[in-house]
Amino acid sequence: MSPDGPLHRLDARVKLIAAVGFVVAVVALRPGSWRLLGGLAAILAVIVAASGVSPMRLLTRWLGFAVVVGFLAALTSRSLAERTGLSPALVVADLLARNSLAIVMMMVLAHVTPWTKLLGAMRRLGLPAALATTLAFMYRYLFVLRDELDRMTTARRARSFRRTGLSFGTLAGLIAALLSRALEREERVFEAMTARGWDGTLRTLDD
Amino acid sequence: MATNDADPAPAVRLGGLTYDYPDGRRALDGVDLAIASGESTALVGPNGAGKSTLLLHLNGLLPGRRKWGRSNPSVWIDGLDVARNAAAVRRKVGLLFQDPDDQLFSTSVLEDVAFGPLNLGLGKADARRVALECLARVDLEHAAERPPHHLSFGERKRVCLAGVLACEPSVLVLDEPTANLDPRARRRFLALIASLPVTKLIATHDLEMVLEICPRTVLLDAGRIVADGPSREILDDGPLLEAHGLEKPLSLALSSLDRPHCTFRDFVNGKDE
Repeated sequence: MSPDGPLHRLDARVKLIAAVGFVVAVVALRPGSWRLLGGLAAILAVIVAASGVSPMRLLTRWLGFAVVVGFLAALTSRSLAERTGLSPALVVADLLARNSLAIVMMMVLAHVTPWTKLLGAMRRLGLPAALATTLAFMYRYLFVLRDELDRMTTARRARSFRRTGLSFGTLAGLIAALLSRALEREERVFEAMTARGWDGTLRTLDD
Repeated sequence: MATNDADPAPAVRLGGLTYDYPDGRRALDGVDLAIASGESTALVGPNGAGKSTLLLHLNGLLPGRRKWGRSNPSVWIDGLDVARNAAAVRRKVGLLFQDPDDQLFSTSVLEDVAFGPLNLGLGKADARRVALECLARVDLEHAAERPPHHLSFGERKRVCLAGVLACEPSVLVLDEPTANLDPRARRRFLALIASLPVTKLIATHDLEMVLEICPRTVLLDAGRIVADGPSREILDDGPLLEAHGLEKPLSLALSSLDRPHCTFRDFVNGKDE
């Protein structure tokens, strides 16, 4: 999929620890430490450049987050402003900057590390097996369920004869149907796993 | 793999198998069936006849834990009572599900094929070797490291088969193996199945496939066995098939067109006398 750069070849554990460390540093800064934030942003810029991810792609994805985060920051800015002594506008800017640094870092991490490698790294760093398994299943069946939802929505649209989107009532019905389909699928997945000798412990090839 | 010749027990035996769905509807009603070791048998019947339910009984996935302690065992694999030896039976019976997404849950193809061997107690190195061998048997060794959802439907189906073969079953149970496959993928999958020297029970609506790879056909309707015999005879019996929601395979209907005083329509309708 993505071309191999120096960051792609790095051990996933190193990347994971570094990225999480970066996020912790961003979060731990005192409000209004503009210079340090600037320094971290410069580091991030170097990493982005080395990763080979297209900045436009990062920007478009970041914008989606920025709108939500900006809105939430604006909601909480007044109480935070009182506690920190900054002006509300600065509080919003500060929150937005930190969030952006953390999110862009995670997007870059996801770009340079395939999901299976990332999951393996989490396992080897001591993530509880149940949690790792849940994450693996979530990722695997997210696509199946999304396809299922797409088919259901298309089928619904084909019979609703309206140009606008679905009404809330229809949407609620769709979500309910998707949930029950997911449950039925879970039952079949469980049966298929049991048929191949599953006894409750997930054994994998790596580690 | 297969049982030795001295063993008189059939590979699969159902003795009066009866099962009710949780809502009380009867799914299987006194099914008696014996399949000899190495035999390829088709299980045909209309939708809702109980085919899949029957298949799930073959390695103890049904009746499930709720009726675990019941006293009247009715399924035996190689002479082993399924209700009491579920773990041992699952080593013998390989079950291929209809929807590959139900079966492929791992993050990579290789990981998924190795799942069975790892559960059977193989070490990681051995499991990896077996998995790679089985992937080679279905022509997919190049896809070993890919995530399953990036594969085509036919490829996923073959990965599922590799995952089942990796457990080295002596009985292969297939639920609609050719459903949703394009002709080339179907052809390829059929050749694969036909090449496997194990006992096979195949639930399907694909009667052309039955003619091709199953000498024997069992017709199930409303939870009962309606007919059991050579596939050529049962699938040539138009009235019988129509009475149970099926129709004569086109290849048989066409081949009997050669006979005199007969129209094509008569044949499809089974009035060929």
